[in-house]
Amino acid sequence: MLPQMGAAAESLSKASSLVMRIGTDAHLYDDPDDVSIKPLLESRYDSEKVDALKRLLALIAQGADVSHFFPQVVKNVASHSLEVKKLVYLYLLHYAEKRQNEALLSINCFQKDLSDTNPLVRAWALRAMTGIRLHVVSPLILAAITKCARDPSPYVRKCAAYALPKLYNLHQEEISSLEQLVDVLLRDNSPAVVGSASVAFNAICPNNYPLISKHFKRLCEALPDVEEWSQIILIEILLRYTVARHGLVRESVLFSDVTHDSTFSSVMSRCYVEGHELWSGDGRGFEEVEMGTCKNEDVDLLLKCTAPLLWSQNSAVVLAAAGVHWIVGPAEEVKKIVKPILFLLRSSSVAKYVVLCNILAFAKAAPLLFDSFYEEFFISSSDSYQIKTIKLEILSTIATESSVPFIFGEFQDYIRDPDRRFVADTVAVIGFIAKQLAVLAGTCLEGLLKLVLSEPLVSGSYQIEEEDGVLVQAIISIKSILKQDPSSHEKVIVRLVRNLDRIKNSASRALIIWIFGEYSSMGDVIPKIAPTVLKYLAWSFHSDEVEAKLQILNTCAKVTAKTKGNNEDSTLFKKILNYILQLATFDQNYDVRDRARFIRNLMGNKTKNNLDIYRDLIESMFCTKPASSPYPSANIRVYLPGSLSQVVLHAAPGYTPLPKPGSAVIENPTGLNNSSDVDESEGSSPQYSTEDNRSGYDTGTEETSENGDYEETPLVNISEANVDQGQTSQNDMSNFVSTDLSEMMSRTALESWLDETPSFSNGSFGQSHSQNVSTSNARVSFNDRNFKLKPRKSHVLLEPANSDGLRISYSFSTEVSSVSPLLVCVDLLFENFAKETLRNINIRFEEASGNSISGPTDPVLEDSASMVSPDKIPTFPMEEIPLLSPNETVKRILQVRFQHHLLPLKLHILWNGKMHLGKLWPDIAYFLRPLSLDMNSFVEKEKQLPGMFECSRRCIFSDHLQELEQNEKISVNADKSLVVAHCFAVKILSSSNFYLVSMDMPVSLKPDDMSGLCLRFAGEVVNSSKPCLITVIAHGNLTEPLDVTVKLNSEDTVFGLNLLNRLVAIVQ
Amino acid sequence: MVEKQMMGHHVDRSICAWFWHQYNHHRNNDQMSVVTSPTHYLFPLIRHGIIFLACTQLELPPLLPIEFLSRFADILSDYLCAGSGAGATLNEDIVKDNFVIVYEVLDEMMDNGFPLTTEPNLLKDIVLPPNLVTKVLHAVTGNSSPSVGPTLPHAAASTVPWRSTHPKTTTNEVYVNLVEQLDASVNWDGNLRRCQVYGEIQVNSSLPGFPDLTLSFTNPSLLNDVRFHPCVRFRPWESSQVLSFVPPDGHFKLMTYRVKELKKIPIYVKPQLTSDSGNCRISALVGVRNDPGKTIDSIIVEFQLPPCITSADLTSNHGTVDILADKTCRWSIGQIPKDKLPSLSGNLVLEPGLDRLHVAPTFQVRFKIMGIAMSGLQIDKLDVKNMPANPYKGFRAQTQAGDYEFRS
Repeated sequence: MLPQMGAAAESLSKASSLVMRIGTDAHLYDDPDDVSIKPLLESRYDSEKVDALKRLLALIAQGADVSHFFPQVVKNVASHSLEVKKLVYLYLLHYAEKRQNEALLSINCFQKDLSDTNPLVRAWALRAMTGIRLHVVSPLILAAITKCARDPSPYVRKCAAYALPKLYNLHQEEISSLEQLVDVLLRDNSPAVVGSASVAFNAICPNNYPLISKHFKRLCEALPDVEEWSQIILIEILLRYTVARHGLVRESVLFSDVTHDSTFSSVMSRCYVEGHELWSGDGRGFEEVEMGTCKNEDVDLLLKCTAPLLWSQNSAVVLAAAGVHWIVGPAEEVKKIVKPILFLLRSSSVAKYVVLCNILAFAKAAPLLFDSFYEEFFISSSDSYQIKTIKLEILSTIATESSVPFIFGEFQDYIRDPDRRFVADTVAVIGFIAKQLAVLAGTCLEGLLKLVLSEPLVSGSYQIEEEDGVLVQAIISIKSILKQDPSSHEKVIVRLVRNLDRIKNSASRALIIWIFGEYSSMGDVIPKIAPTVLKYLAWSFHSDEVEAKLQILNTCAKVTAKTKGNNEDSTLFKKILNYILQLATFDQNYDVRDRARFIRNLMGNKTKNNLDIYRDLIESMFCTKPASSPYPSANIRVYLPGSLSQVVLHAAPGYTPLPKPGSAVIENPTGLNNSSDVDESEGSSPQYSTEDNRSGYDTGTEETSENGDYEETPLVNISEANVDQGQTSQNDMSNFVSTDLSEMMSRTALESWLDETPSFSNGSFGQSHSQNVSTSNARVSFNDRNFKLKPRKSHVLLEPANSDGLRISYSFSTEVSSVSPLLVCVDLLFENFAKETLRNINIRFEEASGNSISGPTDPVLEDSASMVSPDKIPTFPMEEIPLLSPNETVKRILQVRFQHHLLPLKLHILWNGKMHLGKLWPDIAYFLRPLSLDMNSFVEKEKQLPGMFECSRRCIFSDHLQELEQNEKISVNADKSLVVAHCFAVKILSSSNFYLVSMDMPVSLKPDDMSGLCLRFAGEVVNSSKPCLITVIAHGNLTEPLDVTVKLNSEDTVFGLNLLNRLVAIVQ
Repeated sequence: MVEKQMMGHHVDRSICAWFWHQYNHHRNNDQMSVVTSPTHYLFPLIRHGIIFLACTQLELPPLLPIEFLSRFADILSDYLCAGSGAGATLNEDIVKDNFVIVYEVLDEMMDNGFPLTTEPNLLKDIVLPPNLVTKVLHAVTGNSSPSVGPTLPHAAASTVPWRSTHPKTTTNEVYVNLVEQLDASVNWDGNLRRCQVYGEIQVNSSLPGFPDLTLSFTNPSLLNDVRFHPCVRFRPWESSQVLSFVPPDGHFKLMTYRVKELKKIPIYVKPQLTSDSGNCRISALVGVRNDPGKTIDSIIVEFQLPPCITSADLTSNHGTVDILADKTCRWSIGQIPKDKLPSLSGNLVLEPGLDRLHVAPTFQVRFKIMGIAMSGLQIDKLDVKNMPANPYKGFRAQTQAGDYEFRS
């Protein structure tokens, strides 16, 4: 103790001398472990503890793992010093998940702190307690949050609201009590708390519209006072609610067709609501959607309360508020979002790119909104390339005849920009604008031509790639403008062709040659110069590159084919063509040779009568162009304004489109569970669920976005014993009646009926999938257990290369040890690859004390008692193999007691008097004994192990695909779902030691639907003899990889978690 | 150097290595604001050579992390640089020296991946900023200074979360400072393409009690766009264009605004480039156009030499010319002398094979004018209510160049 104290004191004086110099924590960061941290942590003085904790923090920051200090650190939770507490919390939060058992020690202190008089202490305790993420204590956490939600201090209540999502992530069972807490917090007087509660709402139950409907007015009014970060979330919630409740607004900019491109905006509104995956691109309108009007007072209130937020200093709030106006605001008022959004560009440079992405989407739907603000999108030299390109794209979208002179004036400057990539983009945009506004085509062509012919571009000697990019882009732009009206721009073509010789770049040459061939018969001048041009091409053919050569061939063929009659020109053309063909036949490149052969056969000496046919053929081949679609509508990707998906242009995980307009029918604003999510074809009511209705109907026409809640005809009675995977019976009932209702009633009747009848939530949109895993109710259970198990996976213990040819492999066995239930049986396979006989092969365990093995000559293992390790764990040795002749294999069973289910066991392998060290790696899936249970007792047991004893994970199972493929070859009639179930069971049973309790198969009208396949396994943990129950539920279509949820219930939670990971690895 | 903290789900540190790799590869087209990595979406923010990186796997409004990071960077520099003298910027050493505070501040600012407390005044009461007093105390007594405040500030409970209510020793004064940035872009033929002012009203208030301030302008109609600090009440602004607010303590940004379509610029640059046979002669003149009536300070003209230039020889009759490593040419003028116009001239040698220069560099100008707001915005008066004694009120203005560029 004394020397330690001395060291501490010394380090302290050293530390303080450093402090003299700097007065900061720098010394702690630079060499955090120059003193022993442990005694400091156990010191009686707070200052020393602080010092030690800061050192730990420094080590964490540098990436070191200091979790071994956990026990010492946890003790300090009880400290009264706030600073120590704060630092301990920081450390705890970092490592709690890794060291769950030790972290439990801190719970008591947290609970004591929760009743501290200092609100800061209460808040910290709550935050730390919820932050350590221990499944075991989730009921305690719930109690703590419930307590803090009624705390006198708003700060604590706010922290309680933020704690809810953490608990929800940890433990998803008790949603209803979480929702109640959200409800309580939403009622709070303090706007800060309301804001945090809305964040919790968004994380826990984003579709609980009835809850919002109760508070809607208050929430709107509180909006300006809520903290800015919560405003972002709250705005989104209110928007979703409004759309779900009242539908899209007919007057909104999305539906008004006065000001803009109506096809785009209709696509846009559909994308907002349906998401991309579901939108198939058909021409179906949006008529069936319920429309609200902005006369609605809710919509009006929302718009009124979000309007001032357009002046917020937080750019995310501005964009969110703008999104509300964009979607539900009337078209006349949408103008007012324009200036605030544009102002964002200047006032926060970090947000620039994101804002521009959103402006681009807005501008595409309503270019007229932005057309007078074109100056905002002029490029400044400090913009990054990414920003420059998106600005160009916006400019090209909003350019109008009045603004285009200014935009082009600006472009003239851009073309001289040193960044040539950007110049190429500018040139492309010029082409695009000229195509949109035909008036400008002439000017643009003139400008582009000047650019093409300007000296540095064609000289080709310098900066090849970048300059060529500009050149090629300029010619592509010219080409696309020419396409609009080729005959009036004949001179341009002539000038291009004339300068062909100056242009060296092969891609550009190929393009010009194509232009010439395409329009060779047009106008007056081109046909006249055609012979000269062809002669030139023939002359330059050999020096051209492949790309240009191919175009020369095509062009010659085209020109020759187009010349009708038998005048001088056509004979000349034929001659030239023949000459070029000849050259091409001996070209080095086989593409060129192929093309030549092809053209020769087409154009070769044909008899008179089929000449016309060939000519037609050639003309249709070379001269007709596929009609290009004016608008690449398939490429439109639109996501909600302000979302991450809109920026990255793909649906980010967790992206949810707006709810179905008018889908939330709220009858009784005080009830919590009366929401409904009604689709056109899916009505729901309990009173229609009679037996008669259940037979003989098809499976509906409309898929819901989640999992296609189709209902099946129950062929077999529904067994009551089936475990209901979190689905309420109400839900089942409502699903039963789905489709025949729509047959019985016309849609309008259905809708009016729906409006009067309270209906049930079937919780779709965005809810966690795990609750909706099981969808079918009818199942077949069967007891066929004759699986052909696959050979178990064997691992190598000893490689022949470094052991005189002895190879030992091991695999875990499903046998139960005869000696003690604590032992695991391992099959060992000894093989002799050497040419000589091996003697006295044996294996023994390295003992903890390490005293029994003194040398390889030791007499080997006569006395099993000597192998009992000091902590009385019996490990039973195997029989010695006296002789192992070459190529002989011998099998032995080793009964092992693993001390830890993840750590390897060290072995000594002895043969011929030599010793080798080996490691036996445990396989956790075999640390179980099969537990024979029937269905009912399984369910009972499972019920006893809820909450923290339960864990589940999802994974993908795709092995059955292969199996099905094989089966298809053998017999067509085999029940595919049976095969899949078999395949699944085999997979698990052949690499673990479980008892298969039951195998439930879904019965469904859709033959390929495997949703609801459910396998149950039971086992007993070897070390603790505690039962361990596994439920595997599959979901999906059998022709595709199945989505599998593996659920594990066991009292031994740590073991359970590891086992679960192993099982998931097996399945995958 | 990497600093970070995990929230909720574990994010592996290796993502930083991935980002660092990408960042070094794409240095030239910098400033990606959203990066899609194979596993995460990243939001980098680069300030003074320190990279702040946020990452997510799920959908969220992208401006939220971006905005949060910049707020975090602001607060951090406010915390750490205040003690080390004016003009200090955040750097690696300062962060290293105060890494505990960085951790503590971040922990207070973010809870489970969502911003918790971001009001600087509140934060400073919870996590005490390092200051000279604690440093000295630390050194003398050997006790480490408490970096954590003793109790929860009352403001956290009040309806005005940005103001701490417990009385401090205040000097009873308030300063209003107009800081404007002038954006202008002038064409190669000397035409003014665009000219606008982006301005901020910065207030430094140290008033006791619970003051209620009203700020009005003589010409509010000038203002084109506005954004406000949360303390500003919307109603009075909507009705009579008056800023009514309860100020936070200390320094804060009350309002940002923009005035567009100005016609006058204070400084002009006349660049000229002529080139033939592999040489390019460059000359540039700088002069005052519409004399603002105050001296124009710290004028710097910068331009990027095009990549096709192999060597440059530049001289000036006033100030110094430097060519930096990334081919940026910086001409520091300072003030314009009375007797002559500063001019820069020189010769650029083009790459062999290139006859003429076909690209045109853009000249960026930086300057500072104290005592004037170029937009012409004027503060009418500042009323203080709810105060026992009349406080001292100070007004200042300053204009500096924003995106102020001349194309050649």
